Amino acid sequence: MGKKKQKQKVVLPPELPPEVPEDEIEVSDEDLDFVNRNKEYAGFVSKLDTQSITRHVNRVADVKEDALESLYEKRSRKKSLATDNIQLEVDPVDALPVKTLDGQVYYRTAPKAPNKFQNARDEDETVGENEDVGRDNGVMKLTKAEKRAKIKKLRKEAKKQGKEVVEVEEVEQSSQAEVLAEVEKDLSAEEANEKRKFRLAEIGTAMLTDPEGNIKSLKEMLQICKDGDQAVSILGLKSLLAVFKDIIPGNRIRLPTEKELAMVVSKDVKKTRLYESTLLTAYKAYLQKLMALEKVPSFKRVAIRCICTLLEANPRFNFRESLLGVVMNNISSTDDVIRKLCCNTIKSLFTNEGKHGGEVTVETVQLIANLVKDHDCHLHPDSVEVFLSLSFDEDLRKPEVAKPNRKAKNKKYKIGNRNEDKNQLPGNDKKKSKQEMISKTREEVKAEFMAASFAQDAMEKRRIQSDTLSSVFQTYFRILKHAMRPRPEANGLPVGPFGEHPLLAPCLNGIGKFSHLIDLDFMADLMNYLRRLAGGSIDANRPSENFSSRLTVSERLRCCIVAFKVMKNNLDALNVDLQDFFIQLYNLILEYRPGRDQGEVLAEAMKVMLCDDRQHDMQRAAAFIKRLASFSLCFGAAESMAALVTLKHLLQKNVKCRDLLENDAGGGSLSGSIAKYQPYASDPSLSGAFATVLWELTLLSKHYHPSVSTMASGISTITNSHDQVYRSNVSPQQAFIDMSLDKETFTPKSGQKQSNNKRKKGNRPPPSAAAGGGDTVDEMAVRTKLSEHFLLVHDMEENGRLRRELERTKLGLQLYKEYKKQKKQRTR
Amino acid sequence: MRPLDEAETTQVFEKLFKFTSNNLKNIVESPSHEGLDKNPGRYCFRLHKNRVYYVSESLVKRATNIKRENLVALGTNIGKFTKSGKFHLTIQALNLLAANAKHKVWLKPTSEMSFLYGNDVVKGGLGRITDNINAYDGVVVFSMSDVPLGFGIAAKSTQDCRKMDPNGLVVIRQADTGEYLRNQEDL
Repeated sequence: MGKKKQKQKVVLPPELPPEVPEDEIEVSDEDLDFVNRNKEYAGFVSKLDTQSITRHVNRVADVKEDALESLYEKRSRKKSLATDNIQLEVDPVDALPVKTLDGQVYYRTAPKAPNKFQNARDEDETVGENEDVGRDNGVMKLTKAEKRAKIKKLRKEAKKQGKEVVEVEEVEQSSQAEVLAEVEKDLSAEEANEKRKFRLAEIGTAMLTDPEGNIKSLKEMLQICKDGDQAVSILGLKSLLAVFKDIIPGNRIRLPTEKELAMVVSKDVKKTRLYESTLLTAYKAYLQKLMALEKVPSFKRVAIRCICTLLEANPRFNFRESLLGVVMNNISSTDDVIRKLCCNTIKSLFTNEGKHGGEVTVETVQLIANLVKDHDCHLHPDSVEVFLSLSFDEDLRKPEVAKPNRKAKNKKYKIGNRNEDKNQLPGNDKKKSKQEMISKTREEVKAEFMAASFAQDAMEKRRIQSDTLSSVFQTYFRILKHAMRPRPEANGLPVGPFGEHPLLAPCLNGIGKFSHLIDLDFMADLMNYLRRLAGGSIDANRPSENFSSRLTVSERLRCCIVAFKVMKNNLDALNVDLQDFFIQLYNLILEYRPGRDQGEVLAEAMKVMLCDDRQHDMQRAAAFIKRLASFSLCFGAAESMAALVTLKHLLQKNVKCRDLLENDAGGGSLSGSIAKYQPYASDPSLSGAFATVLWELTLLSKHYHPSVSTMASGISTITNSHDQVYRSNVSPQQAFIDMSLDKETFTPKSGQKQSNNKRKKGNRPPPSAAAGGGDTVDEMAVRTKLSEHFLLVHDMEENGRLRRELERTKLGLQLYKEYKKQKKQRTR
Repeated sequence: MRPLDEAETTQVFEKLFKFTSNNLKNIVESPSHEGLDKNPGRYCFRLHKNRVYYVSESLVKRATNIKRENLVALGTNIGKFTKSGKFHLTIQALNLLAANAKHKVWLKPTSEMSFLYGNDVVKGGLGRITDNINAYDGVVVFSMSDVPLGFGIAAKSTQDCRKMDPNGLVVIRQADTGEYLRNQEDL
């Protein structure tokens, strides 16, 4: 008999623990409250319950038709075996709330009516009831056919339970039944999954309400994860994740040593120890499971998600190293979802340093550094971009110097005091020893306080920070070095999945951000690297083409920008003029192609290098002005607007350069040794730009885009009135973005201006505003009227021209006719 | 007046290269628009009475008409050979160097005067400095408004300049425009 019972337990839905009956009253009270509070909901549930009852009745009827005999036999046996058990098993189902997958907790509010049935029924029906609940919750919707199949499945279970009966039936049943049985087997698996799902929900809720009491059921959850099919085990993993996330403490658990185990401890301590060790083992098993599943493609995302969430939630807990390891392995995954998850986790680790005190940051950064090293810089850019969310406390560096001095002073002071004491009371040894004791205890207390408090030692913090920094810069320099290494060109190595220099862009961004933390000794090397990357080789022997041809224009522009940022951040020491980078920019402007390269980068370069720089060579400024003007002739509205804004900045800053706007060529004494403008010179200071005139502005003032044309004509009038207020507050970047937005909506023929054009124009008197007032509305009206007028005049002119042409042709024709006539007359 | 011989040419070019590095090419190859010739001639170096002159070819041709002892100077004087045979750049070369300088230093207005009196440039007087100067490179000194004031030799590289104290030497003076007043008889 006992054997049979066990068998049943294997097959049957997982029974609830039998400790609950007293709770039932409580819960039903809650239920009542709940029903009272939410009348509508209760009504809804009761309605559903009546349906379920009717369904039950039907099912029983069905079953009777199909396999009356077996059912009855089983029932009678069941009743004789474990009627009390049934009741225990049935009631708690109603007593406990069920947490659905979407996280809502359902209390079963009207269990009485079904209870009556259930008490009379056996487990098959409780399973059915479970299904109904599932249906009510919207977890599963069954068609008629499925329902029927399920009923058959029930029968099948009944068969399993009563083995002898099944045997008897097998003899009797036809072959058709065997086929049916096979189908049922499949279906029963589904059934079991359903059961497991509910079990998971139950355990999960129980765990969350009382983690200490139910810690053992973690193992059961793990078991469910292991033997369920894919959907169920994913659910299991997720519910375990939710549970662990809530119950894991914020600190590390240290398992008691043997010595400690041997000691006699109180009941509470024992309990806590048991709890902790169970938690730890379960956690370990869970992690192992996750690690194993992480390698299975279909489970990978779930496993990674779980790992990331765990790491993010509890960076201080045990086994974080293995968690970090897994995250690291996937940080440059080609799967976007996984990579995003990992990167976000690491970012949150970096930003929430308070949670783990910085140790994890160091570990992570070092791991990333190793990863970059191992993969030879062929990783996804995201994996280095996470460094950008690091933050360094700069105050940490300075006050440390002062502190030790003060300490020393204090000590001296103390010693002095003591000496004084000694002098005062030379004979009193007792007092002296007492004082010593006091100071000793004070120190002890202080040390204990330091250990207990979470506040870290400043020294420790400093160490962590410097470690992090060194790893970060190690990585950056490695990437730069890698970008500089000449490519083995002979063998056409396939370029990695992330492009040729995937890490360069984030690396440059990072250097730009953290450049103020670089030691001055590294600065020279860094600048050299950047210079060579930007395209100018230091050693003349080496052809610069070697590097520059490999990097795209945007990348090279970025190098220039970063160099300027680095210099700017360290400007306090010396004002250094970055000639080489200017030369690079001067040439890069020519190489820019709108579709291929990023206009934003170019605009940023203009902003950083030309607008923000305080001082310029006169020659260089002039050369840049000339080049920007020719550049803006060749490209779209956005680029030329950015160029024009920069040009204006330059003209405003360098008064002498306004000579370019004058009409006669040749800058006089300023033009230096170069008498003629050389447009192809690669060095801006040798181009002799002062010898030329900005004739481009005249062309640009007829630009199809109204704001570009007004800008150009505005610039050309700079010399006439020096103190005009210009739009100097707009940066080239802003202009570029504005206009590239414009580009999408702008149609060249439209007579109307867009709103932001209006804004731009508001700053300066428009050329046609002589007729209209300064008001923008007036301006609009005048503008439309003028355009109409111009159109009219244009039409009239055109008309006249056509007419003249017509007359001329007529005249010609007439002359021809006369000529022919005369000819004829002559021939006659 | 005669063209430079091999040894002299190397000496002159080495000196010029210190200041101009790759731009030396411009000095040698730049076309001259003097004279009546339609196609522009070149500039060349001529030695006359131990002084080196940077002269356009057409001028050289015309100067041959004048007797050697009667010819005082021609073209631009850029330096002289000392009695021991070394070549020194003189202040007249400043125009040529400033136009083609590779390494530049800009002086603050307050320290301009000090430099023009023949003193070296200290860090405190430095307004701006080109990146990537190495020690002992030739440097052209400008005022903040880009007027060339003189030239000299860098005492420290740009990187070392950062760490120096304000009284440290940055540029060792070789010539400055104050010489036009101070030693008129020499020039």
